[in-house]
Amino acid sequence: MHLHAITLLLSFWLTPSFALHESDAGVVDWHKRLVGVPNTETIHTSPTFHSVSTRKRNSNIVLTATKSNVLAALNPLNGSVEWRYVYEPRDNIVTFQKQDSVVASLSGPGGATLRSFNVFNGDMLLERRLHEPETGLLVQPNNLGTFIAFGKQSNEIYTLTNGATVNSINGGTISWSWTSGDQGSQILYSTISASDDALYVVGLESSFASYVLHVTALSPITGQLISSSTIPSHISNGLDDFLVLSRTIVWIENGKIKCFVLSPLLKGKTTVLQDASYKKLLDIGLGSHGLFIALKDDSSHIVSCDDGDLVPVRNFEGPASEVSYAGGLSKDGYPFVSNLHWSPNSEVVTVEIYSPKLASLVIEYSLPFDAKTHGSISHVAIESATDVIGRLFLTTTTGAIQVWEQDKHIWTREEGLSELKAAKFVELPERLSVLGGEGRSEEGFVGRLIRQAKDVKDLPNYIIRFAKRFATGSYESATSSATFSAPSSSALQLPYRDAFGFRQILVVSTSYGKAYGIDTSNGDILWNRFLGIGQDPVANAVPFGDKLFIVKTVGDADINSEAGPEVVILAKSRVEENVLLFHLDALTGQDILQPSTFVELLHGSIHDTYMLQLSGKKVIVLLDSELKVHLYPDNAESRELFSNATALSVPLRITSSQGHRRLVGHQFITKPNDNGRSEYFAFPTWTLSLTEGHDVQAIINPIRDPVASIGKVLGNRTTLYKYLNPHVVLVLTTPHSSTALTSNAHCGLYLVDSVKGSVVYEATLPTEGNVCNVKATFTENWLIYHYYDNEYEDIGHTKGYKVVTVELYEGKQIDDKTRSSELSSYSNKMMEYTTYEQSFVYPHAISAITLTSTKFGISSKDVIVANANGKIQSFSRRLLNPRRPIGRKPSSEEQEEYLVQYDPLLPDDSRKVISHNYDVAHIRSITTSPALLESTSLVFAYGLDLFLTRVAPSNTFDVLNESFNKVQLVVTVIGLAVAILVTRPIVMRKKLREKWYS
Amino acid sequence: MTLPIIFILFLGFLYLGSSAVDVKGHVSWNDVCRGKFLPSSAVASLTIQYPGYNQLGHSRVVLDNDKHSGGILKDGSFVIPNVPSGTYLLSVISHDYQFEQMRVDVKDSISFEEPVVEIRPYVLGTPMSPASTILLPYPIKLSARQRFNYFVPRDSFNIMGMLKSPMILMMVFAGALVLGMPYLMKNMDPESLAEFKREQAKMSHAQSALQSGDFKSGLSALMTAASGQDQASSQPPRVQTATKSKGKSRRR
Repeated sequence: MHLHAITLLLSFWLTPSFALHESDAGVVDWHKRLVGVPNTETIHTSPTFHSVSTRKRNSNIVLTATKSNVLAALNPLNGSVEWRYVYEPRDNIVTFQKQDSVVASLSGPGGATLRSFNVFNGDMLLERRLHEPETGLLVQPNNLGTFIAFGKQSNEIYTLTNGATVNSINGGTISWSWTSGDQGSQILYSTISASDDALYVVGLESSFASYVLHVTALSPITGQLISSSTIPSHISNGLDDFLVLSRTIVWIENGKIKCFVLSPLLKGKTTVLQDASYKKLLDIGLGSHGLFIALKDDSSHIVSCDDGDLVPVRNFEGPASEVSYAGGLSKDGYPFVSNLHWSPNSEVVTVEIYSPKLASLVIEYSLPFDAKTHGSISHVAIESATDVIGRLFLTTTTGAIQVWEQDKHIWTREEGLSELKAAKFVELPERLSVLGGEGRSEEGFVGRLIRQAKDVKDLPNYIIRFAKRFATGSYESATSSATFSAPSSSALQLPYRDAFGFRQILVVSTSYGKAYGIDTSNGDILWNRFLGIGQDPVANAVPFGDKLFIVKTVGDADINSEAGPEVVILAKSRVEENVLLFHLDALTGQDILQPSTFVELLHGSIHDTYMLQLSGKKVIVLLDSELKVHLYPDNAESRELFSNATALSVPLRITSSQGHRRLVGHQFITKPNDNGRSEYFAFPTWTLSLTEGHDVQAIINPIRDPVASIGKVLGNRTTLYKYLNPHVVLVLTTPHSSTALTSNAHCGLYLVDSVKGSVVYEATLPTEGNVCNVKATFTENWLIYHYYDNEYEDIGHTKGYKVVTVELYEGKQIDDKTRSSELSSYSNKMMEYTTYEQSFVYPHAISAITLTSTKFGISSKDVIVANANGKIQSFSRRLLNPRRPIGRKPSSEEQEEYLVQYDPLLPDDSRKVISHNYDVAHIRSITTSPALLESTSLVFAYGLDLFLTRVAPSNTFDVLNESFNKVQLVVTVIGLAVAILVTRPIVMRKKLREKWYS
Repeated sequence: MTLPIIFILFLGFLYLGSSAVDVKGHVSWNDVCRGKFLPSSAVASLTIQYPGYNQLGHSRVVLDNDKHSGGILKDGSFVIPNVPSGTYLLSVISHDYQFEQMRVDVKDSISFEEPVVEIRPYVLGTPMSPASTILLPYPIKLSARQRFNYFVPRDSFNIMGMLKSPMILMMVFAGALVLGMPYLMKNMDPESLAEFKREQAKMSHAQSALQSGDFKSGLSALMTAASGQDQASSQPPRVQTATKSKGKSRRR
């Protein structure tokens, strides 16, 4: 009995799993904590400076809501994230306001949820559901009808939600609530303005041809209606045409600006600025000082409306864009306005700062803004660092945020990286060895002899160096940093790999039209490339998701040529529906194509893209919406390569005429076109039949890594041969969105042979509300998937997340062999296989799943998942073996296979959390890449944050353990040598004496 | 300029609030999750009030697969708003701390009062029904069970550990024997010494024979040595038992 326990223990002890040491954290991994690109669509979510002077400290931060649905506070001095709160995707931030040490936000449809945070540390002070998200007003833009205003104290918050309801929240409880008259009324309130006497709720009432302003005054203490009245006005453009300043409402009516002074009884009068050519009003956040910007076609004005007197304070000549103005308050409370002059072709941005109270230009300077890197400026926020110097916070169209202090660049954050479209690891070449003479190959025998004879004089030095290195030098271990110190020489040095290939380049493309090269050793951006489309310098293309191909690796490159690895990025131009192709050098980001930087491949949309790899050549194959084949590079060689690739078959997701998405297998035929050139087309061969009302959600290609072994030897010396069908693809299905909730609605998971369309494995998984969130991955013969099961009432069932592991083996029984990897898909034997599966309970939701990948596939594969609680976790393959004995101890034969008894709960071992202390938020995808070391795999997770680390699923068996104590070894060897030296004379003497006396 | 028309796509149903309830609770700070007291800074006064919050970080309490959720506030309280009747699995999404999971039953009461919330303990991986008979108090009281430990300590060079290893112990024992042998021989009585020497000679003969490749004679020498030993052990002790045991230990 004890023997079992001991062998079990031994089996664990002999195969220790990889775990992280605290000192390795931050050395082998890096984490980029991002907040997302600021949402600059409305002023209520745009970046804004906030400074609070308390007795103890004087703090400055930048607050912003982002397109990644994060409320973030950034430090303007160094660009670090002070805190962030990541909202759930369904709970999008619609507006936020700040006062003193509190920032409050409304999120969800119609502003369903109010949250407030401490501005300095992000502590959540309040979370309050104001209405059910289902009853929320779904409007476009989604911030419409929501507003937050603070009372005198920052714990008095007034909210306007759903365009109709005003709540007063005091210290976490609703003190009063007011809803506008009847639900069917035509008034949509959009703004509130709090004062001591009354709370003004301003909205628009639709009338015949235009809108009319409507104001309701409420008592701030009791919420009772003081007065409600319609202001005679004609507003044609809806919300863009009126602003609520602190005590006044201003609006445009037929090009004239009108101003109405708010008073509790709403008896104010309307004043008019008689200049009938204004187009638009801009709120620059100076409503408390009655200031706003009015735009005309050819000029613009700073206008003040204090107490009903409309005064144009200052004129600016020339057309102005909307983003160029920003307002702020100086330290002593004076308002000022900045104006940016900028044209896409110039390298500089001119900044003018005015203090309207002085009606004069305070300062004018220019800063060097690189439009070729960052695109154009989409938002400006300003703060006065001192009395004069302005601190600018710029948001650009490529997702970068920058802070400038006057003309000095302080920092840049590339927040575009929070929306990666594709990411690929690219191996680096070796460092170019700097060998002595040129023309070494031509030197003759005598010459070599002379050179080597000369080199002999260095031998003693070499020996000494070698001995020194042997005794004291440190070796590179699997956990040593792969970072290199920057080369001291000024010459541009291309990146090169480290000893174990941990240093690679991660080429990524973002949805903001940029590509980056990231050093995997430390996360530094080595190069970035604006995917510009020519004429207009700030127009760029949007990369397609996952359409990034490595067309040339280090291995492919000629030894003699200088060229490094190359990548191809497919992108769509924003303006026209064109598919563009960018061909870049992966080491520098420079264009391979000259002189034009991109190729226009086709007009229209693409259906799918593949990379065909045959006899060392790589061709990119595009299928357009008419299923016509386009090749890149489009030359005779690649056409020949494509025509030689016989029996190509691809599964495609085709939208049928009824709007259902079907899985249809395709093969290629050739048709001559008008010019006599042959063109290739895909034609359908089979269709996967799905249950009525179900759609194909995704096609997941299996992870194709080298297969090290084709079978698994069991404890009793029999073999299970892996079912290695190379054509299998993983297909996820979901109920069609238009179908009603029916009892047979389910999520489906299929393994489909893409040549014949036969279903190899099928699983029906529960759905909740027709939503499918199944995560799955497949490699060789191993499938893992994760889903949520809501069923609990049956005996033995439990609610929760399940992980299922499935392995497919050839034949009907053990030892059967069908050579599935070489069989034709049409062979009958192809459908002979055995399935082993087991399911486990897992405590967390996951957002991404993948497997580790090593160079030769010898190391076992760990499963890497991204958990909902911000962690990247790995699972040993051993735990996910579907042949774990159930309900009994493993037999001795099973113990030889390291099988452990089945336990329904998959252990949530925190030491397998490879992201350790990092809070890696909202990961969408994980990608892995082999290092040069067979034992180690690089793991890159991206979503909101970026995270990269190394894992060794079978431990680092191919490199000296880092706990290997070299000092100990050297000391032991020296100690033994000394012992021999000491004892040798003693032994000799003793032997001599024995000879004498025996 | 185009009209940014207000699209009112959907103006909601009138919400019937009778069958839903706000599930309330709080996290009680315990020894597992307790912040350190920061000395004299602006934050310190707040930290002292709710010591655990800064340690816990932004965390949420969710029902089932995040269908309903509530954030944990600075004071540790949370509210999961408008939970319709049903059975739910309550769990805490926290980065650094592990919390227990619970079964939450929201039951419609017969009268038109607020629905009843029942909290039961639940162990992950066990069947959910039949429900546990233990009822936990409501509002829910949660406390951190453990802080996740992500790191394994580095195995350091330990002289005692090295000495304790079986290889080292064997070496030390063998060394002691080699050093101690002459003294033992000295203290032996002449009779057993002679016997021991005889046996040793036999053994060395067998060894040399085996080494020289003469397996047959080597084996036979071994056999005789073994049989001699057997005879010696089967013989009644002629000398003191103490001596014999010494001899045995010597042969080892």
